[in-house]
Amino acid sequence: MSSEDFGARVQTAVARHIGAPGTIYDLQRLTGGANKTTWSFDAEVAGTRAQFILQLASPRANDESNPLAGVSPHLIAEEDARLMIAAVKAGVPAPRVRAILQPDDGLGGGYVTERVAGETLATKILREERFAGARASMAKQCGTILAAIHRIPVAEVPFLMKLTPAQHIAAQRRIIEFYGFHSPALELGLKWAEQHAPKNTRHTVVHGDFRAGNFIVGEEGIRLVLDWEIGQSGDPMQDLGWVCVKTWRFGGKKPVGGFGTREDLFEAYEKASGHSVDPAHVRFWEAYGSVRWGIGCFSMGTRGVEEVGIERCAIGRRVEEPLWDFLNLIEGRD
Amino acid sequence: MPQSTPKAATLLEAAVKYLETELMPTLDGYHRFQTRVTVNVLNTVRRELELRGAQAAAERSRLVAMLGHDGEVESLSVELAEKIRAGTIAIDDPALRAHVRQSLADALAINNPKWMTR
Repeated sequence: MSSEDFGARVQTAVARHIGAPGTIYDLQRLTGGANKTTWSFDAEVAGTRAQFILQLASPRANDESNPLAGVSPHLIAEEDARLMIAAVKAGVPAPRVRAILQPDDGLGGGYVTERVAGETLATKILREERFAGARASMAKQCGTILAAIHRIPVAEVPFLMKLTPAQHIAAQRRIIEFYGFHSPALELGLKWAEQHAPKNTRHTVVHGDFRAGNFIVGEEGIRLVLDWEIGQSGDPMQDLGWVCVKTWRFGGKKPVGGFGTREDLFEAYEKASGHSVDPAHVRFWEAYGSVRWGIGCFSMGTRGVEEVGIERCAIGRRVEEPLWDFLNLIEGRD
Repeated sequence: MPQSTPKAATLLEAAVKYLETELMPTLDGYHRFQTRVTVNVLNTVRRELELRGAQAAAERSRLVAMLGHDGEVESLSVELAEKIRAGTIAIDDPALRAHVRQSLADALAINNPKWMTR
Protein backbone atom coordinates (compact mmCIF):
# COMPACT_ATOMS: atom_id res chain seq x y z
CA MET A 1 0.00 0.00 0.00
CA SER A 2 1.41 3.45 -0.92
CA SER A 3 1.63 6.08 1.79
CA GLU A 4 -1.10 8.18 0.03
CA ASP A 5 -3.33 5.16 -0.06
CA PHE A 6 -2.58 4.42 3.60
CA GLY A 7 -3.37 8.01 4.62
CA ALA A 8 -6.62 7.90 2.66
CA ARG A 9 -7.68 4.70 4.41
CA VAL A 10 -6.89 6.20 7.81
CA GLN A 11 -8.98 9.28 6.93
CA THR A 12 -11.91 7.15 5.78
CA ALA A 13 -11.73 5.11 9.00
CA VAL A 14 -11.58 8.26 11.17
CA ALA A 15 -14.51 9.84 9.32
CA ARG A 16 -16.51 6.65 9.64
CA HIS A 17 -15.81 5.81 13.31
CA ILE A 18 -15.00 9.15 14.96
CA GLY A 19 -16.37 11.99 12.86
CA ALA A 20 -16.29 13.79 9.51
CA PRO A 21 -14.35 15.02 7.65
CA GLY A 22 -11.44 13.16 9.31
CA THR A 23 -8.81 15.09 7.37
CA ILE A 24 -5.42 13.74 8.49
CA TYR A 25 -2.38 15.85 9.44
CA ASP A 26 1.17 14.84 10.49
CA LEU A 27 0.73 11.08 10.10
CA GLN A 28 3.99 9.72 11.50
CA ARG A 29 5.18 6.24 12.34
CA LEU A 30 6.47 6.21 15.93
CA THR A 31 7.63 2.64 16.48
CA GLY A 32 7.51 -0.68 14.76
CA GLY A 33 7.53 -3.67 17.05
CA ALA A 34 7.32 -7.35 16.22
CA ASN A 35 3.64 -7.37 17.18
CA LYS A 36 2.37 -3.94 16.27
CA THR A 37 3.22 -0.58 14.73
CA THR A 38 2.30 2.73 16.29
CA TRP A 39 1.36 5.88 14.37
CA SER A 40 0.68 9.40 15.55
CA PHE A 41 -1.64 11.81 13.70
CA ASP A 42 -3.97 14.76 14.06
CA ALA A 43 -7.39 14.77 12.44
CA GLU A 44 -10.09 17.31 11.83
CA VAL A 45 -13.19 15.97 13.47
CA ALA A 46 -16.45 17.90 13.88
CA GLY A 47 -14.78 21.27 13.40
CA THR A 48 -11.79 20.75 15.71
CA ARG A 49 -8.32 19.35 15.26
CA ALA A 50 -7.73 16.46 17.66
CA GLN A 51 -4.70 14.29 18.49
CA PHE A 52 -4.74 10.55 18.00
CA ILE A 53 -2.65 7.39 18.12
CA LEU A 54 -3.21 4.52 15.68
CA GLN A 55 -2.06 1.02 16.62
CA LEU A 56 -1.92 -1.59 13.89
CA ALA A 57 -1.33 -5.27 14.48
CA SER A 58 1.49 -6.77 12.41
CA PRO A 59 0.26 -9.44 10.04
CA ARG A 60 2.27 -12.08 11.84
CA ALA A 61 1.06 -11.30 15.36
CA ASN A 62 -1.20 -14.12 16.51
CA ASP A 63 -0.31 -16.01 13.34
CA GLU A 64 -1.77 -19.49 13.62
CA SER A 65 1.41 -20.96 12.21
CA ASN A 66 3.33 -19.61 15.20
CA PRO A 67 3.83 -22.75 17.31
CA LEU A 68 3.90 -20.65 20.48
CA ALA A 69 0.58 -18.88 19.74
CA GLY A 70 -1.74 -19.28 22.70
CA VAL A 71 0.99 -20.48 25.07
CA SER A 72 1.30 -17.15 26.86
CA PRO A 73 -1.15 -14.22 26.89
CA HIS A 74 -1.38 -12.05 23.80
CA LEU A 75 -4.50 -10.10 22.91
CA ILE A 76 -5.62 -9.39 19.38
CA ALA A 77 -6.17 -5.69 18.64
CA GLU A 78 -9.91 -5.73 19.26
CA GLU A 79 -9.51 -7.44 22.65
CA ASP A 80 -6.70 -5.05 23.56
CA ALA A 81 -9.08 -2.14 22.82
CA ARG A 82 -11.95 -3.73 24.74
CA LEU A 83 -9.67 -4.20 27.77
CA MET A 84 -8.70 -0.50 27.67
CA ILE A 85 -12.38 0.49 27.40
CA ALA A 86 -13.15 -1.61 30.50
CA ALA A 87 -10.12 -0.10 32.25
CA VAL A 88 -11.21 3.49 31.60
CA LYS A 89 -14.68 2.59 32.87
CA ALA A 90 -13.07 1.31 36.10
CA GLY A 91 -11.24 4.62 36.59
CA VAL A 92 -7.84 3.52 35.27
CA PRO A 93 -5.81 6.11 33.32
CA ALA A 94 -5.74 3.95 30.17
CA PRO A 95 -5.82 5.26 26.58
CA ARG A 96 -9.33 6.31 25.53
CA VAL A 97 -10.34 4.18 22.57
CA ARG A 98 -12.14 6.15 19.83
CA ALA A 99 -12.29 3.51 17.09
CA ILE A 100 -11.80 -0.20 16.67
CA LEU A 101 -10.90 -0.92 13.04
CA GLN A 102 -13.18 -3.21 11.05
CA PRO A 103 -12.13 -5.54 8.23
CA ASP A 104 -13.62 -3.23 5.56
CA ASP A 105 -11.42 -0.35 6.78
CA GLY A 106 -8.68 -2.17 4.87
CA LEU A 107 -6.01 -1.57 7.51
CA GLY A 108 -5.94 -4.93 9.27
CA GLY A 109 -6.54 -5.22 13.01
CA GLY A 110 -6.04 -2.10 15.07
CA TYR A 111 -7.57 0.79 16.94
CA VAL A 112 -7.42 4.55 17.38
CA THR A 113 -6.93 6.17 20.79
CA GLU A 114 -6.73 9.77 21.99
CA ARG A 115 -3.12 10.96 22.12
CA VAL A 116 -1.91 12.31 25.45
CA ALA A 117 1.24 14.43 25.69
CA GLY A 118 4.05 13.44 28.05
CA GLU A 119 7.28 11.50 28.45
CA THR A 120 7.63 7.71 28.19
CA LEU A 121 11.42 7.36 28.31
CA ALA A 122 12.17 6.04 31.78
CA THR A 123 15.74 7.33 31.82
CA LYS A 124 14.52 10.90 31.28
CA ILE A 125 11.78 10.58 33.88
CA LEU A 126 14.34 9.29 36.40
CA ARG A 127 16.94 11.99 35.75
CA GLU A 128 15.34 15.25 34.68
CA GLU A 129 14.69 17.87 37.34
CA ARG A 130 11.25 18.74 35.95
CA PHE A 131 10.03 15.24 36.90
CA ALA A 132 11.18 15.49 40.56
CA GLY A 133 7.61 15.96 41.76
CA ALA A 134 6.37 13.10 39.59
CA ARG A 135 9.05 10.78 40.96
CA ALA A 136 8.02 11.56 44.51
CA SER A 137 4.41 10.54 43.90
CA MET A 138 4.59 7.80 41.27
CA ALA A 139 5.01 4.77 43.59
CA LYS A 140 1.82 5.72 45.44
CA GLN A 141 0.12 6.40 42.14
CA CYS A 142 1.15 2.94 40.91
CA GLY A 143 -0.53 1.42 43.97
CA THR A 144 -3.76 3.33 43.37
CA ILE A 145 -3.81 2.59 39.63
CA LEU A 146 -3.11 -1.12 40.17
CA ALA A 147 -5.95 -1.32 42.68
CA ALA A 148 -8.24 0.13 39.99
CA ILE A 149 -6.96 -2.30 37.33
CA HIS A 150 -7.59 -5.20 39.70
CA ARG A 151 -11.17 -3.99 40.20
CA ILE A 152 -12.08 -4.31 36.49
CA PRO A 153 -14.81 -6.97 36.44
CA VAL A 154 -13.33 -10.12 34.86
CA ALA A 155 -16.77 -10.79 33.34
CA GLU A 156 -16.42 -7.66 31.19
CA VAL A 157 -13.26 -9.03 29.58
CA PRO A 158 -13.98 -12.76 29.24
CA PHE A 159 -11.39 -13.17 26.47
CA LEU A 160 -8.45 -12.76 28.90
CA MET A 161 -6.31 -15.85 29.32
CA LYS A 162 -6.70 -17.21 32.84
CA LEU A 163 -3.45 -18.26 34.46
CA THR A 164 -2.78 -19.49 37.97
CA PRO A 165 0.83 -18.93 39.12
CA ALA A 166 1.59 -22.60 38.38
CA GLN A 167 0.11 -22.31 34.86
CA HIS A 168 2.13 -19.14 34.30
CA ILE A 169 5.35 -20.98 35.08
CA ALA A 170 4.29 -24.00 32.97
CA ALA A 171 3.82 -21.66 29.98
CA GLN A 172 7.39 -20.36 30.39
CA ARG A 173 8.64 -23.93 30.53
CA ARG A 174 6.91 -24.67 27.23
CA ILE A 175 8.62 -21.66 25.68
CA ILE A 176 12.11 -22.75 26.73
CA GLU A 177 11.38 -26.30 25.62
CA PHE A 178 10.26 -25.02 22.22
CA TYR A 179 13.49 -23.08 21.74
CA GLY A 180 15.63 -25.83 23.27
CA PHE A 181 17.29 -23.62 25.88
CA HIS A 182 19.37 -25.63 28.33
CA SER A 183 20.73 -23.23 30.87
CA PRO A 184 21.45 -24.26 34.46
CA ALA A 185 20.66 -20.73 35.65
CA LEU A 186 17.30 -20.70 33.86
CA GLU A 187 16.42 -24.19 35.13
CA LEU A 188 17.32 -23.12 38.66
CA GLY A 189 15.00 -20.13 38.23
CA LEU A 190 12.05 -22.13 36.92
CA LYS A 191 12.48 -24.88 39.51
CA TRP A 192 12.60 -22.28 42.29
CA ALA A 193 9.45 -20.68 40.88
CA GLU A 194 7.67 -24.06 40.74
CA GLN A 195 8.59 -24.72 44.36
CA HIS A 196 7.58 -21.27 45.60
CA ALA A 197 4.51 -20.50 43.47
CA PRO A 198 1.75 -18.98 45.61
CA LYS A 199 -1.44 -21.03 45.89
CA ASN A 200 -5.08 -20.02 46.37
CA THR A 201 -4.49 -16.46 45.29
CA ARG A 202 -7.13 -13.86 44.37
CA HIS A 203 -8.09 -13.88 40.72
CA THR A 204 -8.38 -10.50 39.00
CA VAL A 205 -7.59 -8.72 35.77
CA VAL A 206 -3.78 -8.38 35.51
CA HIS A 207 -2.13 -5.80 33.26
CA GLY A 208 0.89 -8.05 32.71
CA ASP A 209 3.38 -5.37 31.64
CA PHE A 210 2.82 -2.62 34.20
CA ARG A 211 6.23 -0.94 34.52
CA ALA A 212 8.33 2.15 33.87
CA GLY A 213 8.62 2.59 30.12
CA ASN A 214 4.92 1.86 29.68
CA PHE A 215 3.74 5.03 31.43
CA ILE A 216 3.14 8.44 29.89
CA VAL A 217 4.40 10.82 32.56
CA GLY A 218 3.94 14.52 33.09
CA GLU A 219 5.42 16.77 35.77
CA GLU A 220 2.52 15.85 38.06
CA GLY A 221 2.96 12.08 37.65
CA ILE A 222 1.56 9.20 35.59
CA ARG A 223 -0.96 10.36 32.98
CA LEU A 224 -1.54 7.10 31.15
CA VAL A 225 -0.75 3.40 31.42
CA LEU A 226 0.07 1.93 28.01
CA ASP A 227 0.69 -1.52 26.47
CA TRP A 228 -2.28 -3.63 27.49
CA GLU A 229 -1.65 -6.34 24.89
CA ILE A 230 -0.50 -9.04 27.30
CA GLY A 231 -3.40 -8.40 29.66
CA GLN A 232 -4.52 -11.59 31.40
CA SER A 233 -6.34 -12.69 34.53
CA GLY A 234 -4.65 -14.22 37.52
CA ASP A 235 -2.86 -13.30 40.74
CA PRO A 236 -2.95 -9.49 41.07
CA MET A 237 0.34 -9.48 42.99
CA GLN A 238 2.04 -10.26 39.67
CA ASP A 239 1.67 -6.60 38.67
CA LEU A 240 3.13 -5.34 41.97
CA GLY A 241 6.18 -7.59 41.59
CA TRP A 242 6.76 -6.79 37.90
CA VAL A 243 6.99 -3.03 38.47
CA CYS A 244 9.83 -3.75 40.94
CA VAL A 245 11.94 -5.98 38.64
CA LYS A 246 15.40 -4.44 38.51
CA THR A 247 15.50 -4.25 34.71
CA TRP A 248 12.56 -1.82 34.86
CA ARG A 249 14.39 0.48 37.29
CA PHE A 250 16.49 1.69 34.34
CA GLY A 251 19.50 2.34 36.55
CA GLY A 252 17.48 4.10 39.27
CA LYS A 253 18.25 3.07 42.84
CA LYS A 254 14.75 2.79 44.26
CA PRO A 255 12.91 -0.53 43.96
CA VAL A 256 9.66 0.62 42.35
CA GLY A 257 10.59 1.57 38.78
CA GLY A 258 13.77 3.26 40.03
CA PHE A 259 11.64 6.09 41.45
CA GLY A 260 9.84 4.91 44.59
CA THR A 261 9.65 2.66 47.62
CA ARG A 262 7.79 -0.59 48.09
CA GLU A 263 6.26 0.86 51.27
CA ASP A 264 4.59 3.66 49.26
CA LEU A 265 3.40 1.20 46.60
CA PHE A 266 1.97 -1.29 49.08
CA GLU A 267 0.38 1.31 51.34
CA ALA A 268 -1.40 3.04 48.47
CA TYR A 269 -2.54 -0.32 47.05
CA GLU A 270 -3.90 -1.47 50.40
CA LYS A 271 -5.71 1.81 50.94
CA ALA A 272 -7.26 1.83 47.47
CA SER A 273 -8.09 -1.88 47.21
CA GLY A 274 -8.91 -2.88 50.78
CA HIS A 275 -6.68 -5.93 50.34
CA SER A 276 -3.54 -6.35 52.42
CA VAL A 277 -0.23 -6.90 50.64
CA ASP A 278 2.18 -9.60 51.78
CA PRO A 279 5.68 -8.36 50.78
CA ALA A 280 6.95 -11.95 50.48
CA HIS A 281 4.17 -12.73 48.01
CA VAL A 282 5.13 -9.72 45.87
CA ARG A 283 8.77 -10.73 46.16
CA PHE A 284 7.94 -14.09 44.56
CA TRP A 285 6.60 -12.24 41.50
CA GLU A 286 9.62 -9.95 41.39
CA ALA A 287 11.98 -12.95 41.48
CA TYR A 288 9.95 -15.01 39.02
CA GLY A 289 9.43 -11.91 36.86
CA SER A 290 13.22 -11.67 36.57
CA VAL A 291 13.37 -15.27 35.36
CA ARG A 292 10.54 -14.60 32.90
CA TRP A 293 12.32 -11.55 31.51
CA GLY A 294 15.48 -13.69 31.15
CA ILE A 295 13.43 -16.09 29.01
CA GLY A 296 12.06 -13.10 27.06
CA CYS A 297 15.62 -11.97 26.28
CA PHE A 298 16.55 -15.50 25.25
CA SER A 299 13.59 -15.72 22.85
CA MET A 300 14.25 -12.33 21.31
CA GLY A 301 17.90 -13.10 20.70
CA THR A 302 17.18 -16.43 19.10
CA ARG A 303 14.76 -15.39 16.36
CA GLY A 304 17.38 -14.68 13.73
CA VAL A 305 18.98 -11.60 12.24
CA GLU A 306 16.48 -11.27 9.35
CA GLU A 307 13.53 -10.94 11.64
CA VAL A 308 14.83 -8.94 14.54
CA GLY A 309 17.80 -6.78 13.58
CA ILE A 310 20.70 -5.77 15.75
CA GLU A 311 18.76 -4.29 18.64
CA ARG A 312 16.89 -7.50 19.38
CA CYS A 313 20.01 -9.60 18.80
CA ALA A 314 21.69 -7.49 21.47
CA ILE A 315 18.76 -8.11 23.83
CA GLY A 316 19.63 -11.80 23.54
CA ARG A 317 22.86 -10.99 25.34
CA ARG A 318 20.93 -9.52 28.27
CA VAL A 319 19.68 -12.89 29.52
CA GLU A 320 22.07 -12.98 32.45
CA GLU A 321 21.13 -9.55 33.83
CA PRO A 322 17.74 -10.57 35.25
CA LEU A 323 19.01 -14.04 36.17
CA TRP A 324 21.79 -12.43 38.21
CA ASP A 325 19.17 -10.22 39.88
CA PHE A 326 17.01 -13.30 40.51
CA LEU A 327 19.87 -15.16 42.25
CA ASN A 328 20.61 -12.12 44.42
CA LEU A 329 16.92 -11.81 45.29
CA ILE A 330 16.51 -15.40 46.45
CA GLU A 331 19.78 -15.26 48.37
CA GLY A 332 18.83 -11.98 50.06
CA ARG A 333 21.71 -10.10 48.44
CA ASP A 334 19.62 -7.48 46.66
CA MET B 1 50.61 -20.55 9.90
CA PRO B 2 51.45 -17.56 12.06
CA GLN B 3 48.48 -15.64 13.43
CA SER B 4 47.34 -12.84 11.13
CA THR B 5 47.92 -9.33 12.36
CA PRO B 6 46.51 -7.01 13.52
CA LYS B 7 44.73 -9.34 15.94
CA ALA B 8 40.95 -9.62 15.89
CA ALA B 9 40.68 -7.54 19.08
CA THR B 10 42.65 -4.74 17.44
CA LEU B 11 40.41 -4.76 14.35
CA LEU B 12 37.36 -4.52 16.57
CA GLU B 13 38.91 -1.70 18.55
CA ALA B 14 39.57 0.22 15.33
CA ALA B 15 36.00 -0.35 14.12
CA VAL B 16 34.54 0.82 17.44
CA LYS B 17 36.78 3.90 17.46
CA TYR B 18 35.59 4.90 13.97
CA LEU B 19 31.90 4.36 14.83
CA GLU B 20 32.10 6.18 18.15
CA THR B 21 34.35 9.11 17.43
CA GLU B 22 33.71 9.77 13.73
CA LEU B 23 30.35 8.35 12.66
CA MET B 24 28.14 8.78 15.73
CA PRO B 25 28.59 12.57 16.05
CA THR B 26 27.17 12.95 12.52
CA LEU B 27 24.02 10.95 13.30
CA ASP B 28 20.83 11.43 15.24
CA GLY B 29 17.61 9.60 15.93
CA TYR B 30 17.23 6.04 14.68
CA HIS B 31 20.69 5.65 13.14
CA ARG B 32 22.48 7.11 16.14
CA PHE B 33 20.68 4.62 18.38
CA GLN B 34 21.40 1.67 16.06
CA THR B 35 25.06 2.67 15.86
CA ARG B 36 25.25 2.83 19.66
CA VAL B 37 23.87 -0.72 19.79
CA THR B 38 26.39 -1.80 17.13
CA VAL B 39 29.27 -0.37 19.19
CA ASN B 40 28.02 -2.27 22.24
CA VAL B 41 27.79 -5.50 20.24
CA LEU B 42 31.34 -5.12 18.90
CA ASN B 43 32.65 -4.47 22.40
CA THR B 44 30.87 -7.61 23.57
CA VAL B 45 32.60 -9.65 20.86
CA ARG B 46 35.96 -8.14 21.86
CA ARG B 47 35.45 -9.08 25.52
CA GLU B 48 34.32 -12.57 24.54
CA LEU B 49 37.48 -13.14 22.50
CA GLU B 50 39.54 -11.98 25.45
CA LEU B 51 37.76 -13.75 28.31
CA ARG B 52 35.80 -16.77 27.15
CA GLY B 53 38.72 -19.23 26.73
CA ALA B 54 39.78 -19.10 30.38
CA GLN B 55 36.15 -18.94 31.54
CA ALA B 56 35.21 -22.07 29.57
CA ALA B 57 38.15 -24.03 30.99
CA ALA B 58 37.18 -23.10 34.57
CA GLU B 59 33.50 -23.80 33.85
CA ARG B 60 34.37 -27.24 32.51
CA SER B 61 36.38 -28.05 35.66
CA ARG B 62 33.45 -27.05 37.89
CA LEU B 63 31.03 -29.14 35.81
CA VAL B 64 33.34 -32.18 35.84
CA ALA B 65 33.59 -31.91 39.63
CA MET B 66 29.80 -31.68 40.02
CA LEU B 67 28.83 -34.35 37.48
CA GLY B 68 31.67 -36.76 38.14
CA HIS B 69 32.73 -37.34 34.54
CA ASP B 70 34.61 -35.66 31.70
CA GLY B 71 33.10 -34.02 28.62
CA GLU B 72 32.79 -30.87 26.52
CA VAL B 73 31.68 -27.78 28.43
CA GLU B 74 28.47 -27.33 26.37
CA SER B 75 27.25 -30.91 26.79
CA LEU B 76 28.15 -30.95 30.49
CA SER B 77 26.15 -27.76 30.97
CA VAL B 78 23.11 -29.25 29.20
CA GLU B 79 23.44 -32.33 31.44
CA LEU B 80 23.47 -30.14 34.55
CA ALA B 81 20.41 -28.23 33.33
CA GLU B 82 18.58 -31.54 32.85
CA LYS B 83 19.51 -32.71 36.35
CA ILE B 84 18.13 -29.49 37.83
CA ARG B 85 14.91 -29.94 35.87
CA ALA B 86 14.62 -33.60 36.93
CA GLY B 87 15.27 -32.67 40.55
CA THR B 88 18.32 -34.94 40.89
CA ILE B 89 20.35 -31.89 41.94
CA ALA B 90 18.65 -29.75 44.58
CA ILE B 91 18.45 -26.06 43.73
CA ASP B 92 19.87 -25.12 47.13
CA ASP B 93 22.95 -27.33 46.61
CA PRO B 94 25.87 -25.01 47.54
CA ALA B 95 28.11 -26.23 44.70
CA LEU B 96 25.30 -25.64 42.20
CA ARG B 97 24.61 -22.15 43.55
CA ALA B 98 28.31 -21.27 43.40
CA HIS B 99 28.59 -22.62 39.85
CA VAL B 100 25.54 -20.74 38.59
CA ARG B 101 26.67 -17.52 40.29
CA GLN B 102 30.15 -17.80 38.73
CA SER B 103 28.74 -18.65 35.28
CA LEU B 104 26.41 -15.64 35.38
CA ALA B 105 29.24 -13.38 36.55
CA ASP B 106 31.41 -14.69 33.69
CA ALA B 107 28.70 -14.01 31.11
CA LEU B 108 28.06 -10.53 32.51
CA ALA B 109 31.80 -9.77 32.38
CA ILE B 110 31.42 -10.26 28.61
CA ASN B 111 27.90 -8.98 27.93
CA ASN B 112 27.47 -6.10 30.37
CA PRO B 113 30.17 -5.73 33.04
CA LYS B 114 28.44 -2.70 34.59
CA TRP B 115 25.38 -4.74 35.60
CA MET B 116 27.07 -6.37 38.59
CA THR B 117 27.86 -3.05 40.24
CA ARG B 118 24.45 -1.49 39.75
